[in-house]
Amino acid sequence: MCCATSGPGATNLVTGLLDAMMDSVPLVAITGQVRTELMGTDGFQEADVCAITQPVTKRNMLISDVNRIGETIAEAFALARHGRPGPVLIDIPNDILKARTDATAVCEPLTYGGAGPRASDAAVRDAVARIRSARRPVAIIGGGVRAGAVDLYRLFVAMLGLPHAATINALGAAAPGDANYLGMLGMHGLKAANKAVQRADLLVALGMRFDDRVTGKPDRFAREAAVIHADIDATEFGKIVAADVTLHGDLRETLRALVDELARGHVPRFDDWAAEARLLGGPLPSDRVENDQLSATGVLDRLFAAIPDDAIVTTDVGQHQMWAAQRAQPAHPRKYATSAGLGAMGFGFPAAIGAAYANPGVPVYAIVGDGGFQMCLPELATLRRYDVPVKIVLIDNQNLGMVRQWQELFFSQRYSATNLADNPDFVAIARAYGIDAYAITAPAHAGDVIARFVASRGPALLHCACHPTENVWPMIPAGMTVDDLMEARA
Amino acid sequence: MTCDLTLRDVRSVARIVNLAHRFNCRTTQIAVQADTTVIARFAFDGPDVALGRLRAQIDRIMSYEADLT
Repeated sequence: MCCATSGPGATNLVTGLLDAMMDSVPLVAITGQVRTELMGTDGFQEADVCAITQPVTKRNMLISDVNRIGETIAEAFALARHGRPGPVLIDIPNDILKARTDATAVCEPLTYGGAGPRASDAAVRDAVARIRSARRPVAIIGGGVRAGAVDLYRLFVAMLGLPHAATINALGAAAPGDANYLGMLGMHGLKAANKAVQRADLLVALGMRFDDRVTGKPDRFAREAAVIHADIDATEFGKIVAADVTLHGDLRETLRALVDELARGHVPRFDDWAAEARLLGGPLPSDRVENDQLSATGVLDRLFAAIPDDAIVTTDVGQHQMWAAQRAQPAHPRKYATSAGLGAMGFGFPAAIGAAYANPGVPVYAIVGDGGFQMCLPELATLRRYDVPVKIVLIDNQNLGMVRQWQELFFSQRYSATNLADNPDFVAIARAYGIDAYAITAPAHAGDVIARFVASRGPALLHCACHPTENVWPMIPAGMTVDDLMEARA
Repeated sequence: MTCDLTLRDVRSVARIVNLAHRFNCRTTQIAVQADTTVIARFAFDGPDVALGRLRAQIDRIMSYEADLT
């Protein structure tokens, strides 16, 4: 949950609310409002917050009666978590906040009564029949797995020997060391994942929404595949990719039903196809980087090898986000947080602070770029003030790298507003806030510096001065398919 | 496309009209009777794909409203 003051405080929440909406994150936001008698007078710091946030919340409420504060807050928490999770906002005028009430101070937590949607038995039987008769099925797991469905998902793919891929919101869903896990799919996904999906004769899409960064061009996406689509939100069915079987319900319950139905009869194995799918990939392509310059991918490879298995990783948005998503192997989806649907730069560092508060004692790493980090530099004060033990890994390539990459590849190298060669001295900035700072300037020192950074106590910054034009590969250009996959500059 | 909706929050009428505009659909009719519940009839004109998207978004709004106490 979060709070903000009236006017600009509330309007500054809009991006975060939309981020939560896009990635189905339960969130309750409480905003202050000018006092009731001033509403409609263009009062100081007055904003029609409910109107502004209507499209970016599941619901918002303006409280006009102090006696309703408790029940409204209880309702907000219940609604944020119910069904497909998302943000709910409560706007409270100043006079209501100050008013006295005899209402019960503590309201019982509210849960919505009645069973939620549940996939029909017929649909489950149909899905299992299609799995049994498939030759090249692939499972795709999405952010819905965070609804307590990780164990059942791992059981489901393991009992079938099913090759499977994940959207960026489901990184960590695969069991550690699962050889049939093909990695992230989509625009910068792993080749094996994208190619297997394209060759599949059956997609088992679980808690994912066929985002355009995954499908590219929907009418050429997985052309040979029938689709089983499971989701808590019925409006996702057929929105982008037509489904042959829809399983409307909570993903954990849907997976339980699929596992039980499979166990009642023949359980097919797809080991041969999974082995074939793995061979569709190969090592991640690397970009050209001169020997004496630091490669961002090289740094991230070393970092992921050095950080503890139970670490939480957050990322910002851009090239580093994709490089990290290609490489990270979190132990659980809740060990990895990124702004996926909205792609909001400035997410990674504050998210890490939240993760650290929610998980005391667990190491938290924020992987950020030089562009996004500068959108939330004031949070360094938060880090110091509360001594939050977040480790910041700053991939500084002196560019808004992803936009620069697109300008290079798709806009005839007409670079505009992406050059950040005049970046400030980030190490000096961190130290000015009283935060330990480490720097890597050459590949030869990377291992040693990363080791000292990881071993350090308390908040710290690792500044990595990386090659400015290293690109993210592979790449499926927007609106295209894996058939158009690029692994290097033309 | 016509939609006969029973809403709990009259503000959803405005939201639906805004969504129609966003999807390049024309709102050709709105009739609303607002009491403890809101009975609303909408008619929209536009490309089939856009109308389909609008219908899905209206369904989502309805599902959120269904959760309200």
